[in-house]
Amino acid sequence: MTEIRLLSEGIFEVTKDKKQLSTLNLDPGKVVYGEKLISVEGAEYRTWDPRRSKLGAMVLKKFDIPLKRDSKVLYLGAASGTTVSHVSDIVSEGVVYSVEFAPRSMRDFIGLASRRKNIFPILADAGKPDSYAHIVEPVDIIFQDVAQPNQAEIAARNAVRFLKKDGYLLLSIKARSIDTAASPKEIFKEEVKKLEQAFEKGFEILTARDLMPYHEDHLGVLAKLKA
Amino acid sequence: MIINTWFGVLELGSNGKLSASELFPKDVRELALRSLSLRDSRQNLPPEGFDLKTAAIECGFADSSSEYYSLLHEVTLETVKLQVSQALTPDQRIVQAVEALDDINETTNSLSERLFEWYGGYFPESGLNGESLAVFVAKYGSRENIPPEDPLYLKAQNSMGAKLEAADELLLKSFAESVCSLYERRKQIEAYIESSMETLAPNLTALAGPMLGARLISIAGSLEKLAAFPSSTIQVIGANKALFKHLRARAPSPKHGIIYSHPLINTSPWWVRGKVARALAAKLSLAARIDFYSAKKEPSLEGELEEKIRKIREANPRPPQKRQESRAKPKKKRRR
Repeated sequence: MTEIRLLSEGIFEVTKDKKQLSTLNLDPGKVVYGEKLISVEGAEYRTWDPRRSKLGAMVLKKFDIPLKRDSKVLYLGAASGTTVSHVSDIVSEGVVYSVEFAPRSMRDFIGLASRRKNIFPILADAGKPDSYAHIVEPVDIIFQDVAQPNQAEIAARNAVRFLKKDGYLLLSIKARSIDTAASPKEIFKEEVKKLEQAFEKGFEILTARDLMPYHEDHLGVLAKLKA
Repeated sequence: MIINTWFGVLELGSNGKLSASELFPKDVRELALRSLSLRDSRQNLPPEGFDLKTAAIECGFADSSSEYYSLLHEVTLETVKLQVSQALTPDQRIVQAVEALDDINETTNSLSERLFEWYGGYFPESGLNGESLAVFVAKYGSRENIPPEDPLYLKAQNSMGAKLEAADELLLKSFAESVCSLYERRKQIEAYIESSMETLAPNLTALAGPMLGARLISIAGSLEKLAAFPSSTIQVIGANKALFKHLRARAPSPKHGIIYSHPLINTSPWWVRGKVARALAAKLSLAARIDFYSAKKEPSLEGELEEKIRKIREANPRPPQKRQESRAKPKKKRRR
Protein backbone atom coordinates (compact mmCIF):
# COMPACT_ATOMS: atom_id res chain seq x y z
CA MET A 1 0.00 0.00 0.00
CA THR A 2 1.44 3.35 -0.99
CA GLU A 3 0.68 6.38 1.10
CA ILE A 4 1.24 9.97 0.06
CA ARG A 5 1.48 12.92 2.37
CA LEU A 6 1.92 16.52 1.22
CA LEU A 7 4.80 18.24 3.03
CA SER A 8 4.88 21.52 1.12
CA GLU A 9 3.63 22.59 -2.27
CA GLY A 10 4.98 20.07 -4.77
CA ILE A 11 6.90 18.12 -2.11
CA PHE A 12 5.61 14.77 -0.90
CA GLU A 13 6.40 12.03 1.49
CA VAL A 14 5.72 8.78 -0.31
CA THR A 15 5.51 5.72 1.92
CA LYS A 16 6.17 2.52 0.10
CA ASP A 17 8.12 0.07 2.25
CA LYS A 18 9.73 3.14 3.83
CA LYS A 19 9.13 6.88 3.97
CA GLN A 20 10.70 8.73 1.08
CA LEU A 21 10.90 12.38 0.21
CA SER A 22 9.67 12.85 -3.37
CA THR A 23 8.56 15.27 -6.02
CA LEU A 24 6.21 14.76 -8.96
CA ASN A 25 8.30 13.91 -12.01
CA LEU A 26 8.02 16.64 -14.62
CA ASP A 27 9.84 14.48 -17.16
CA PRO A 28 8.03 11.14 -16.79
CA GLY A 29 10.04 7.96 -17.22
CA LYS A 30 13.38 9.72 -16.95
CA VAL A 31 15.79 9.27 -14.07
CA VAL A 32 18.29 12.07 -13.41
CA TYR A 33 20.88 10.72 -10.98
CA GLY A 34 19.88 7.16 -10.12
CA GLU A 35 16.89 7.99 -7.90
CA LYS A 36 13.84 5.75 -7.74
CA LEU A 37 10.61 6.34 -9.62
CA ILE A 38 7.36 5.39 -7.88
CA SER A 39 4.11 5.37 -9.84
CA VAL A 40 0.92 5.93 -7.88
CA GLU A 41 -2.44 6.18 -9.65
CA GLY A 42 -1.04 7.56 -12.86
CA ALA A 43 1.29 10.02 -11.18
CA GLU A 44 5.00 9.39 -11.14
CA TYR A 45 7.02 10.40 -8.08
CA ARG A 46 10.77 10.82 -8.07
CA THR A 47 12.47 10.06 -4.77
CA TRP A 48 14.70 12.77 -3.37
CA ASP A 49 17.78 11.88 -1.36
CA PRO A 50 18.27 14.46 1.44
CA ARG A 51 21.86 13.33 1.81
CA ARG A 52 22.63 14.47 -1.69
CA SER A 53 20.66 17.69 -1.57
CA LYS A 54 20.80 20.57 0.91
CA LEU A 55 17.31 21.65 -0.09
CA GLY A 56 15.99 18.14 0.49
CA ALA A 57 17.59 18.17 3.93
CA MET A 58 15.99 21.54 4.65
CA VAL A 59 12.56 20.09 3.87
CA LEU A 60 13.09 17.29 6.37
CA LYS A 61 14.48 19.73 8.94
CA LYS A 62 11.02 21.38 8.82
CA PHE A 63 12.00 24.57 7.03
CA ASP A 64 9.08 26.53 5.59
CA ILE A 65 9.86 25.96 1.92
CA PRO A 66 8.50 28.98 -0.01
CA LEU A 67 8.53 27.25 -3.40
CA LYS A 68 5.17 27.37 -5.19
CA ARG A 69 3.94 25.85 -8.42
CA ASP A 70 4.54 29.07 -10.37
CA SER A 71 7.59 30.38 -8.49
CA LYS A 72 10.45 32.00 -10.28
CA VAL A 73 13.72 30.77 -8.84
CA LEU A 74 17.32 31.88 -9.17
CA TYR A 75 19.44 28.87 -8.31
CA LEU A 76 23.10 29.64 -7.59
CA GLY A 77 25.47 26.69 -7.66
CA ALA A 78 23.53 24.28 -9.85
CA ALA A 79 26.39 21.74 -10.08
CA SER A 80 25.26 18.79 -12.20
CA GLY A 81 21.62 19.45 -11.43
CA THR A 82 20.67 16.90 -8.78
CA THR A 83 18.72 19.39 -6.70
CA VAL A 84 17.78 21.62 -9.63
CA SER A 85 15.84 18.71 -11.09
CA HIS A 86 13.65 18.57 -7.99
CA VAL A 87 13.18 22.33 -7.93
CA SER A 88 12.14 22.06 -11.56
CA ASP A 89 9.59 19.40 -10.54
CA ILE A 90 8.18 21.62 -7.79
CA VAL A 91 7.90 24.82 -9.82
CA SER A 92 6.26 23.01 -12.71
CA GLU A 93 4.69 26.22 -14.03
CA GLY A 94 7.53 28.48 -12.98
CA VAL A 95 11.14 28.91 -14.05
CA VAL A 96 14.56 28.10 -12.66
CA TYR A 97 17.50 30.28 -13.66
CA SER A 98 20.40 27.98 -12.83
CA VAL A 99 23.86 29.49 -12.44
CA GLU A 100 26.93 27.28 -12.35
CA PHE A 101 30.57 28.30 -12.68
CA ALA A 102 32.35 25.05 -13.57
CA PRO A 103 32.23 24.03 -17.25
CA ARG A 104 32.73 20.40 -16.20
CA SER A 105 29.57 20.35 -14.07
CA MET A 106 27.71 22.28 -16.73
CA ARG A 107 28.52 19.56 -19.23
CA ASP A 108 26.52 17.08 -17.16
CA PHE A 109 23.83 19.65 -16.48
CA ILE A 110 23.12 20.43 -20.15
CA GLY A 111 21.41 17.11 -20.78
CA LEU A 112 18.98 17.72 -17.93
CA ALA A 113 18.40 21.35 -18.85
CA SER A 114 17.61 20.52 -22.45
CA ARG A 115 14.82 18.12 -21.45
CA ARG A 116 13.16 20.44 -18.94
CA LYS A 117 11.70 23.57 -20.44
CA ASN A 118 11.58 25.49 -17.16
CA ILE A 119 15.35 25.37 -16.61
CA PHE A 120 17.55 28.15 -17.99
CA PRO A 121 21.21 27.21 -17.59
CA ILE A 122 23.76 30.00 -17.13
CA LEU A 123 27.51 29.41 -17.04
CA ALA A 124 28.78 32.30 -14.95
CA ASP A 125 30.28 33.32 -11.63
CA ALA A 126 27.51 33.76 -9.06
CA GLY A 127 29.70 36.41 -7.43
CA LYS A 128 29.26 38.57 -10.51
CA PRO A 129 25.51 38.92 -11.03
CA ASP A 130 26.12 41.69 -13.56
CA SER A 131 27.30 39.05 -16.01
CA TYR A 132 23.80 37.57 -16.21
CA ALA A 133 21.75 40.68 -15.55
CA HIS A 134 20.71 40.76 -19.21
CA ILE A 135 19.00 37.36 -18.83
CA VAL A 136 17.48 37.01 -15.36
CA GLU A 137 14.18 38.63 -14.41
CA PRO A 138 13.12 39.45 -10.82
CA VAL A 139 12.59 36.22 -8.88
CA ASP A 140 10.55 35.02 -5.90
CA ILE A 141 13.26 32.83 -4.43
CA ILE A 142 17.03 32.71 -4.51
CA PHE A 143 18.49 29.35 -3.58
CA GLN A 144 22.19 29.38 -3.00
CA ASP A 145 24.56 26.48 -2.50
CA VAL A 146 27.93 27.69 -3.71
CA ALA A 147 30.47 26.66 -1.04
CA GLN A 148 32.48 29.86 -1.40
CA PRO A 149 34.15 31.77 1.43
CA ASN A 150 32.19 34.93 0.59
CA GLN A 151 28.75 33.30 0.50
CA ALA A 152 26.97 36.07 2.37
CA GLU A 153 28.29 38.66 -0.03
CA ILE A 154 27.24 36.63 -3.06
CA ALA A 155 23.73 36.25 -1.66
CA ALA A 156 23.52 39.98 -0.99
CA ARG A 157 24.67 40.98 -4.46
CA ASN A 158 22.17 38.70 -6.14
CA ALA A 159 19.34 39.69 -3.81
CA VAL A 160 19.85 43.37 -4.51
CA ARG A 161 19.65 42.80 -8.20
CA PHE A 162 17.12 40.04 -8.64
CA LEU A 163 15.06 39.32 -5.51
CA LYS A 164 11.52 40.70 -5.40
CA LYS A 165 10.62 42.74 -2.32
CA ASP A 166 8.63 39.91 -0.76
CA GLY A 167 11.04 37.24 -2.01
CA TYR A 168 12.93 34.66 0.00
CA LEU A 169 16.52 33.53 0.23
CA LEU A 170 17.33 29.90 0.92
CA LEU A 171 20.96 29.37 1.67
CA SER A 172 23.20 26.55 2.65
CA ILE A 173 26.42 27.51 4.40
CA LYS A 174 29.29 25.06 4.41
CA ALA A 175 31.58 25.73 7.35
CA ARG A 176 34.52 23.94 5.74
CA SER A 177 34.62 26.23 2.74
CA ILE A 178 34.88 29.33 4.92
CA ASP A 179 37.57 28.22 7.34
CA THR A 180 38.86 24.67 7.62
CA ALA A 181 40.27 25.10 11.08
CA ALA A 182 37.74 27.18 13.04
CA SER A 183 34.74 25.72 14.81
CA PRO A 184 31.61 25.48 12.66
CA LYS A 185 29.40 27.03 15.35
CA GLU A 186 31.42 30.22 15.40
CA ILE A 187 31.46 30.38 11.63
CA PHE A 188 27.68 30.01 11.46
CA LYS A 189 27.22 32.81 14.00
CA GLU A 190 29.49 35.08 11.95
CA GLU A 191 27.84 34.24 8.67
CA VAL A 192 24.34 34.87 9.99
CA LYS A 193 25.54 38.22 11.30
CA LYS A 194 27.04 38.98 7.90
CA LEU A 195 23.74 38.16 6.19
CA GLU A 196 21.84 40.48 8.51
CA GLN A 197 24.21 43.31 7.68
CA ALA A 198 25.21 42.23 4.19
CA PHE A 199 23.89 45.30 2.46
CA GLU A 200 21.88 48.38 3.16
CA LYS A 201 18.60 46.64 3.74
CA GLY A 202 19.91 43.39 5.12
CA PHE A 203 18.18 40.05 5.45
CA GLU A 204 15.77 39.08 8.16
CA ILE A 205 16.64 35.54 9.23
CA LEU A 206 13.50 33.44 9.56
CA THR A 207 15.06 30.03 10.22
CA ALA A 208 18.64 28.91 10.72
CA ARG A 209 19.25 25.29 11.51
CA ASP A 210 22.08 22.85 10.95
CA LEU A 211 21.46 20.09 8.43
CA MET A 212 22.56 17.15 10.58
CA PRO A 213 22.34 14.22 10.14
CA TYR A 214 22.07 14.68 6.36
CA HIS A 215 25.02 17.04 5.88
CA GLU A 216 27.85 17.56 8.32
CA ASP A 217 28.91 21.09 9.26
CA HIS A 218 26.27 22.72 7.09
CA LEU A 219 23.82 25.40 8.14
CA GLY A 220 20.54 25.94 6.33
CA VAL A 221 19.16 29.48 6.34
CA LEU A 222 15.79 30.84 5.29
CA ALA A 223 15.68 34.61 5.07
CA LYS A 224 13.76 37.45 3.49
CA LEU A 225 14.56 41.06 2.81
CA LYS A 226 13.98 43.36 5.75
CA ALA A 227 10.90 45.44 5.26
CA MET B 1 18.61 55.40 -20.45
CA ILE B 2 19.83 52.66 -22.77
CA ILE B 3 19.90 49.09 -21.52
CA ASN B 4 21.18 45.85 -22.99
CA THR B 5 19.10 42.70 -22.75
CA TRP B 6 19.46 39.29 -24.36
CA PHE B 7 16.68 40.08 -26.85
CA GLY B 8 17.58 43.64 -27.81
CA VAL B 9 18.63 47.13 -26.84
CA LEU B 10 15.94 49.09 -25.02
CA GLU B 11 15.61 52.74 -24.30
CA LEU B 12 13.85 53.84 -21.15
CA GLY B 13 12.40 57.28 -20.64
CA SER B 14 13.03 59.26 -17.48
CA ASN B 15 9.82 57.80 -15.99
CA GLY B 16 11.24 54.28 -16.39
CA LYS B 17 8.83 53.50 -19.22
CA LEU B 18 9.93 51.90 -22.45
CA SER B 19 10.38 54.59 -25.09
CA ALA B 20 12.22 52.86 -27.93
CA SER B 21 13.67 49.48 -28.72
CA GLU B 22 15.94 47.80 -31.20
CA LEU B 23 15.14 44.08 -31.21
CA PHE B 24 17.47 41.32 -32.32
CA PRO B 25 16.31 38.78 -34.90
CA LYS B 26 14.82 35.64 -33.35
CA ASP B 27 17.73 33.44 -34.34
CA VAL B 28 18.84 31.17 -31.50
CA ARG B 29 22.49 30.98 -32.48
CA GLU B 30 22.85 34.69 -33.03
CA LEU B 31 21.07 35.52 -29.78
CA ALA B 32 23.39 33.11 -27.98
CA LEU B 33 26.49 34.77 -29.43
CA ARG B 34 25.17 38.19 -28.41
CA SER B 35 24.41 36.91 -24.96
CA LEU B 36 28.00 35.74 -24.65
CA SER B 37 29.40 39.14 -25.55
CA LEU B 38 26.97 40.86 -23.17
CA ARG B 39 28.17 38.55 -20.43
CA ASP B 40 31.68 39.92 -20.78
CA SER B 41 30.97 43.55 -21.61
CA ARG B 42 28.59 44.20 -18.67
CA GLN B 43 27.63 47.58 -20.04
CA ASN B 44 24.29 49.33 -19.90
CA LEU B 45 22.92 46.80 -17.46
CA PRO B 46 19.20 46.75 -16.75
CA PRO B 47 18.42 48.61 -13.50
CA GLU B 48 17.98 46.53 -10.35
CA GLY B 49 14.68 44.70 -10.29
CA PHE B 50 13.98 45.40 -13.98
CA ASP B 51 11.31 43.07 -15.39
CA LEU B 52 12.80 41.73 -18.62
CA LYS B 53 9.86 39.53 -19.53
CA THR B 54 7.24 42.27 -19.29
CA ALA B 55 9.49 44.58 -21.32
CA ALA B 56 9.98 41.92 -23.98
CA ILE B 57 6.24 41.48 -24.40
CA GLU B 58 5.61 45.22 -24.28
CA CYS B 59 8.07 45.96 -27.06
CA GLY B 60 6.71 43.13 -29.18
CA PHE B 61 9.64 40.74 -29.05
CA ALA B 62 7.43 37.96 -27.70
CA ASP B 63 3.66 37.60 -27.87
CA SER B 64 3.29 35.72 -24.61
CA SER B 65 5.10 34.51 -21.53
CA SER B 66 5.34 31.02 -22.93
CA GLU B 67 6.92 32.21 -26.17
CA TYR B 68 9.39 34.34 -24.22
CA TYR B 69 10.35 31.45 -21.97
CA SER B 70 10.67 28.87 -24.69
CA LEU B 71 12.97 31.14 -26.70
CA LEU B 72 14.99 32.01 -23.60
CA HIS B 73 15.31 28.31 -22.83
CA GLU B 74 16.79 27.61 -26.24
CA VAL B 75 19.08 30.63 -26.17
CA THR B 76 20.53 29.92 -22.71
CA LEU B 77 21.05 26.30 -23.68
CA GLU B 78 22.86 27.26 -26.87
CA THR B 79 24.98 29.77 -24.94
CA VAL B 80 26.21 27.25 -22.37
CA LYS B 81 26.91 24.74 -25.12
CA LEU B 82 29.16 27.30 -26.80
CA GLN B 83 30.87 28.05 -23.50
CA VAL B 84 31.39 24.41 -22.60
CA SER B 85 32.94 23.65 -25.97
CA GLN B 86 35.37 26.54 -25.51
CA ALA B 87 36.36 25.35 -22.06
CA LEU B 88 38.77 22.62 -23.19
CA THR B 89 41.98 24.65 -23.21
CA PRO B 90 45.53 23.27 -23.74
CA ASP B 91 46.19 23.18 -20.00
CA GLN B 92 43.04 21.10 -19.51
CA ARG B 93 44.46 18.56 -21.96
CA ILE B 94 47.62 18.39 -19.91
CA VAL B 95 45.60 17.90 -16.75
CA GLN B 96 43.78 14.98 -18.38
CA ALA B 97 47.08 13.50 -19.60
CA VAL B 98 48.62 13.71 -16.12
CA GLU B 99 45.64 11.95 -14.59
CA ALA B 100 45.70 9.29 -17.30
CA LEU B 101 49.39 8.79 -16.60
CA ASP B 102 48.70 8.26 -12.89
CA ASP B 103 45.99 5.72 -13.71
CA ILE B 104 48.30 3.89 -16.11
CA ASN B 105 51.11 3.81 -13.56
CA GLU B 106 48.86 2.32 -10.96
CA THR B 107 47.49 -0.31 -13.33
CA THR B 108 50.83 -1.30 -14.84
CA ASN B 109 52.36 -1.70 -11.42
CA SER B 110 49.70 -4.05 -10.17
CA LEU B 111 49.54 -5.98 -13.47
CA SER B 112 53.29 -6.43 -13.71
CA GLU B 113 53.36 -7.60 -10.11
CA ARG B 114 50.73 -10.13 -11.05
CA LEU B 115 52.81 -11.24 -14.02
CA PHE B 116 55.86 -11.57 -11.77
CA GLU B 117 53.98 -13.83 -9.37
CA TRP B 118 52.34 -15.84 -12.10
CA TYR B 119 55.33 -16.40 -14.36
CA GLY B 120 57.60 -16.86 -11.34
CA GLY B 121 56.12 -20.32 -10.90
CA TYR B 122 57.51 -21.37 -14.28
CA PHE B 123 60.88 -19.61 -14.32
CA PRO B 124 61.79 -18.23 -10.88
CA GLU B 125 65.49 -17.78 -11.76
CA SER B 126 64.91 -15.22 -14.53
CA GLY B 127 65.71 -12.28 -12.22
CA LEU B 128 63.50 -10.08 -14.37
CA ASN B 129 60.65 -7.87 -13.27
CA GLY B 130 58.57 -4.95 -14.44
CA GLU B 131 58.84 -3.99 -18.06
CA SER B 132 61.79 -6.28 -18.89
CA LEU B 133 59.88 -9.31 -17.63
CA ALA B 134 56.79 -8.34 -19.64
CA VAL B 135 58.88 -7.95 -22.79
CA PHE B 136 60.61 -11.27 -22.13
CA VAL B 137 57.38 -13.23 -21.61
CA ALA B 138 55.71 -11.63 -24.59
CA LYS B 139 58.68 -12.59 -26.74
CA TYR B 140 59.40 -16.16 -25.64
CA GLY B 141 56.54 -17.47 -23.54
CA SER B 142 57.88 -20.70 -22.08
CA ARG B 143 61.52 -20.79 -20.98
CA GLU B 144 62.05 -23.69 -23.36
CA ASN B 145 61.87 -21.27 -26.29
CA ILE B 146 64.87 -19.26 -25.17
CA PRO B 147 67.60 -19.48 -27.85
CA PRO B 148 71.15 -20.51 -26.84
CA GLU B 149 72.58 -17.04 -27.54
CA ASP B 150 70.34 -15.43 -24.90
CA PRO B 151 72.18 -14.75 -21.60
CA LEU B 152 69.36 -16.43 -19.70
CA TYR B 153 69.70 -19.69 -21.68
CA LEU B 154 71.66 -21.63 -19.07
CA LYS B 155 69.48 -20.54 -16.21
CA ALA B 156 66.42 -21.54 -18.20
CA GLN B 157 67.86 -24.97 -18.91
CA ASN B 158 68.49 -25.65 -15.21
CA SER B 159 65.36 -23.91 -13.89
CA MET B 160 63.37 -25.52 -11.11
CA GLY B 161 60.19 -23.92 -12.49
CA ALA B 162 57.21 -25.97 -13.54
CA LYS B 163 56.52 -26.85 -17.13
CA LEU B 164 54.38 -24.30 -18.94
CA GLU B 165 51.42 -25.95 -20.69
CA ALA B 166 50.42 -24.64 -24.11
CA ALA B 167 47.10 -23.17 -22.92
CA ASP B 168 48.77 -21.37 -20.00
CA GLU B 169 51.57 -20.17 -22.24
CA LEU B 170 49.11 -18.57 -24.63
CA LEU B 171 47.34 -16.84 -21.77
CA LEU B 172 50.55 -15.59 -20.15
CA LYS B 173 51.94 -14.37 -23.42
CA SER B 174 48.94 -12.25 -24.26
CA PHE B 175 48.76 -11.00 -20.69
CA ALA B 176 52.40 -9.92 -20.97
CA GLU B 177 51.65 -8.24 -24.28
CA SER B 178 48.94 -6.16 -22.65
CA VAL B 179 51.37 -5.11 -19.94
CA CYS B 180 53.94 -4.19 -22.59
CA SER B 181 51.47 -2.03 -24.44
CA LEU B 182 50.61 -0.23 -21.20
CA TYR B 183 54.29 0.56 -20.72
CA GLU B 184 54.35 1.91 -24.25
CA ARG B 185 51.28 4.07 -23.62
CA ARG B 186 53.04 5.44 -20.58
CA LYS B 187 56.00 6.56 -22.64
CA GLN B 188 53.68 8.03 -25.24
CA ILE B 189 51.79 10.08 -22.67
CA GLU B 190 55.00 11.24 -21.06
CA ALA B 191 56.30 12.40 -24.42
CA TYR B 192 53.01 14.19 -25.05
CA ILE B 193 53.19 15.99 -21.71
CA GLU B 194 56.82 16.95 -22.29
CA SER B 195 56.19 18.47 -25.68
CA SER B 196 52.98 20.28 -24.71
CA MET B 197 54.47 21.65 -21.51
CA GLU B 198 57.31 23.09 -23.57
CA THR B 199 54.87 25.22 -25.55
CA LEU B 200 52.25 25.89 -22.88
CA ALA B 201 54.52 26.76 -19.98
CA PRO B 202 58.16 27.15 -21.07
CA ASN B 203 59.35 28.87 -17.90
CA LEU B 204 57.68 26.47 -15.53
CA THR B 205 59.07 23.58 -17.56
CA ALA B 206 62.58 25.03 -17.46
CA LEU B 207 62.53 25.37 -13.68
CA ALA B 208 60.49 22.37 -12.59
CA GLY B 209 60.87 19.96 -15.47
CA PRO B 210 57.88 18.93 -17.59
CA MET B 211 56.45 16.26 -15.29
CA LEU B 212 56.57 18.24 -12.05
CA GLY B 213 55.26 21.30 -13.87
CA ALA B 214 52.39 19.33 -15.33
CA ARG B 215 51.57 17.88 -11.93
CA LEU B 216 51.46 21.32 -10.37
CA ILE B 217 49.04 22.47 -13.07
CA SER B 218 46.98 19.32 -12.63
CA ILE B 219 46.60 19.74 -8.87
CA ALA B 220 45.93 23.47 -9.15
CA GLY B 221 43.29 22.71 -11.82
CA SER B 222 44.63 25.01 -14.52
CA LEU B 223 47.58 27.21 -15.35
CA GLU B 224 45.49 30.23 -14.50
CA LYS B 225 44.81 28.96 -11.00
CA LEU B 226 48.44 27.99 -10.49
CA ALA B 227 49.49 31.48 -11.53
CA ALA B 228 47.11 32.90 -8.96
CA PHE B 229 48.47 30.80 -6.10
CA PRO B 230 50.87 32.42 -3.65
CA SER B 231 54.25 30.71 -3.63
CA SER B 232 53.65 29.47 -0.08
CA THR B 233 50.76 27.42 -1.49
CA ILE B 234 52.88 26.08 -4.35
CA GLN B 235 55.47 25.04 -1.79
CA VAL B 236 53.03 22.70 -0.03
CA ILE B 237 50.81 21.58 -2.94
CA GLY B 238 50.37 17.84 -2.50
CA ALA B 239 51.03 17.89 1.24
CA ASN B 240 47.38 18.38 2.12
CA LYS B 241 47.27 15.96 4.98
CA ALA B 242 50.29 17.42 6.73
CA LEU B 243 49.12 20.97 6.06
CA PHE B 244 45.65 20.52 7.53
CA LYS B 245 47.04 18.60 10.46
CA HIS B 246 49.25 21.60 11.05
CA LEU B 247 46.38 24.07 10.76
CA ARG B 248 44.02 22.13 13.00
CA ALA B 249 46.33 20.76 15.64
CA ARG B 250 49.86 21.18 16.87
CA ALA B 251 51.66 19.43 14.06
CA PRO B 252 54.74 20.98 12.42
CA SER B 253 54.13 22.74 9.13
CA PRO B 254 55.06 20.77 6.00
CA LYS B 255 58.19 22.01 4.26
CA HIS B 256 57.36 20.74 0.81
CA GLY B 257 54.63 19.03 -1.15
CA ILE B 258 55.14 17.44 -4.54
CA ILE B 259 57.98 19.84 -5.32
CA TYR B 260 60.02 17.52 -3.13
CA SER B 261 60.60 15.45 -6.26
CA HIS B 262 62.62 18.35 -7.69
CA PRO B 263 66.33 17.44 -7.71
CA LEU B 264 67.30 20.73 -6.04
CA ILE B 265 65.35 19.69 -2.98
CA ASN B 266 65.86 15.97 -2.73
CA THR B 267 69.61 16.23 -3.28
CA SER B 268 69.99 18.97 -0.70
CA PRO B 269 71.03 18.10 2.85
CA TRP B 270 68.00 17.81 5.09
CA TRP B 271 68.61 20.94 7.11
CA VAL B 272 68.32 23.27 4.12
CA ARG B 273 65.47 21.55 2.34
CA GLY B 274 62.84 23.85 3.82
CA LYS B 275 64.77 26.92 2.72
CA VAL B 276 65.43 25.50 -0.73
CA ALA B 277 61.76 24.57 -1.09
CA ARG B 278 60.74 28.12 -0.25
CA ALA B 279 63.16 29.60 -2.78
CA LEU B 280 62.13 27.13 -5.46
CA ALA B 281 58.41 27.71 -4.85
CA ALA B 282 58.95 31.47 -5.12
CA LYS B 283 60.55 31.09 -8.54
CA LEU B 284 57.99 28.52 -9.68
CA SER B 285 55.15 30.90 -8.94
CA LEU B 286 56.93 33.63 -10.87
CA ALA B 287 57.43 31.22 -13.76
CA ALA B 288 53.77 30.19 -13.77
CA ARG B 289 52.70 33.82 -13.86
CA ILE B 290 55.02 34.69 -16.72
CA ASP B 291 53.78 31.64 -18.60
CA PHE B 292 50.13 32.47 -18.10
CA TYR B 293 50.28 36.20 -18.77
CA SER B 294 53.00 36.56 -21.40
CA ALA B 295 54.05 33.04 -22.47
CA LYS B 296 57.53 34.37 -23.24
CA LYS B 297 60.65 32.61 -22.11
CA GLU B 298 62.41 34.49 -19.33
CA PRO B 299 66.01 33.19 -19.30
CA SER B 300 67.15 34.98 -16.13
CA LEU B 301 64.93 32.91 -13.80
CA GLU B 302 67.08 29.79 -13.82
CA GLY B 303 70.26 31.70 -13.01
CA GLU B 304 68.60 33.58 -10.19
CA LEU B 305 67.33 30.38 -8.67
CA GLU B 306 70.72 28.70 -8.84
CA GLU B 307 72.36 31.71 -7.27
CA LYS B 308 69.83 31.74 -4.45
CA ILE B 309 70.25 28.03 -3.76
CA ARG B 310 74.02 28.40 -3.75
CA LYS B 311 73.75 31.15 -1.14
CA ILE B 312 71.45 29.04 1.02
CA ARG B 313 73.86 26.14 0.95
CA GLU B 314 76.82 28.36 1.70
CA ALA B 315 75.09 29.99 4.65
CA ASN B 316 74.14 26.63 6.12
CA PRO B 317 77.08 24.29 5.68
CA ARG B 318 76.40 22.23 8.83
CA PRO B 319 73.29 20.82 10.42
CA PRO B 320 71.90 23.09 13.14
CA GLN B 321 72.87 22.33 16.72
CA LYS B 322 70.15 20.85 18.85
CA ARG B 323 68.58 23.71 20.73
CA GLN B 324 68.42 23.75 24.51
CA GLU B 325 65.22 22.32 25.91
CA SER B 326 63.17 25.48 25.81
CA ARG B 327 59.79 24.21 24.82
CA ALA B 328 57.76 26.77 22.98
CA LYS B 329 54.71 27.59 24.97
CA PRO B 330 51.81 25.39 23.88
CA LYS B 331 49.71 26.88 21.15
CA LYS B 332 46.07 27.42 21.92
CA LYS B 333 44.32 24.28 20.83
CA ARG B 334 41.80 25.24 18.22
CA ARG B 335 39.81 22.20 17.34
CA ARG B 336 40.02 18.43 17.73
